[in-house]
Amino acid sequence: MKTKLLLALLVGSLAATAHAQVKVEDAIKWRQSAYATMGWSMGRIKANIDGTYNKDEVIKSANVIQAIANSGMGALYVPGSDKGKGWVDTRVKPELFTDGPKVGKIATEFNQAANELAKVAATGDAAAVKAAFGKLGASCKSCHDDYRTKQ
Amino acid sequence: MNSKRILLWDLPTRLFHWLLALAVVALVVTGKVGGNLIDWHGKVGLAVVGLIVFRVVWGLVGSTYARFCQFFPTPARISAYLKGEWRGHGHNPLGALSVFGLLAVLTVQLLTGLVANDDIAFVGPLYELVGRDLSNLATGWHKLSVNMLIVLVILHLAAIMFYAHVKKDNLVKPMVRGWKEVPSGESAQGGGMLSLVLAIVFALVAVYAASGRWLPEPPPPPPAAVQTPAW
Ligand code: HEC
Ligand code: HEM
Repeated sequence: MKTKLLLALLVGSLAATAHAQVKVEDAIKWRQSAYATMGWSMGRIKANIDGTYNKDEVIKSANVIQAIANSGMGALYVPGSDKGKGWVDTRVKPELFTDGPKVGKIATEFNQAANELAKVAATGDAAAVKAAFGKLGASCKSCHDDYRTKQ
Repeated sequence: MNSKRILLWDLPTRLFHWLLALAVVALVVTGKVGGNLIDWHGKVGLAVVGLIVFRVVWGLVGSTYARFCQFFPTPARISAYLKGEWRGHGHNPLGALSVFGLLAVLTVQLLTGLVANDDIAFVGPLYELVGRDLSNLATGWHKLSVNMLIVLVILHLAAIMFYAHVKKDNLVKPMVRGWKEVPSGESAQGGGMLSLVLAIVFALVAVYAASGRWLPEPPPPPPAAVQTPAW
């Protein structure tokens, strides 16, 4: 009985550490990859707005952004990842880790903008997509302005 | 005390000045706000390339008070001005420093902007020429040097207020109407049609160069032109 309990505790704590310990380098790589993927999707949508509009392509791209936005990216800002190297040196500002509510507000607005874009993309209304795209772009920028180093 | 009217700022110089003022305000606002306005930022920025090149050429072939050699702030001129011995019209030597300072910072702003990117969905028209790393660096400078520009603009406005209230010299009216009441002096000469055409041609060529239209591959390749797997 006692050994079983000890074993359970041991397994439990091992699992807990395995769960909590996203390696800093990985966390930075994953978030950089996620942002770069959103950059790809934003570029695609823009090309559709500026050129010939392909409803399906816009839906695909908007869904990618929506999925990433709602993936809980905050989990990739593990303690200690304010410095370090993923694919490149991280450009996050230390304030992102200390500004709690303010970052939360920006992140929430970003999620809402991403949801809205995916919603209007499904309708195929190019003008509405353009407006929602602009709002989303502004929300990307508001986070970069405050929480990403200039270079 | 009799005074006379002289033509101080010719029409092209005045048009340049007010268009530039408008454009700079628009650029700072659209740059800070972002979103879809970044497209306008790029367009207005290109127009400013034309304005600045126009002004540089006009500084060589324009009328008297618009010429750089007329007001170039040499140390001798600056010290004479500070001793109160300057009797000219147009830009005084300190004002001239501000003119050249503004032109320099605007040039930095334009050159960095043309290759900048916002990491969202916009790149400057000459981005392809420098690649990602340099573009990121230029974007960083673009955001830093705009603060310098804002400081210079504030100094510029403060100096105008100082002249209006302390020295009782209204500098704005001549920039609007062109002429100024002075005790003595000559109207601006030169800067005729030929000079104007020359300056406009240079400006248009510069805008074309900055627009990147001449780059071999147009930045967004038409989707149908490249074959990629359908999945
Ligand atoms: C909550 C804040 C936040 C939001 C919202 C945000 N970003 Fe970022 N972004 C960052 C941070 C922080 C980095 C730097 C990450 C690092 O280097 O560790 C970054 C980096 C990037 C990068 C560079 C990735 C690389 O290659 O290193 C791109 C591209 C990017 N973001 C695009 C976007 C786009 C597009 C959006 C909106 C759809 C967006 N971001 C929304 C904070 C944000
Ligand atoms: C004199 C001309 C210009 C001025 C005064 C100006 C001003 C600004 C300002 C104030 C910003 C916002 C900076 C910040 O977020 O702190 C900005 C951003 C930007 N500008 Fe300009 N700009 C000029 C010309 C250009 C040109 C010609 C281009 C390209 C065609 C350009 C491209 C950009 C880009 C891509 C950004 C976005 C950076 C980002 O948000 O990440 N700019 N500019």
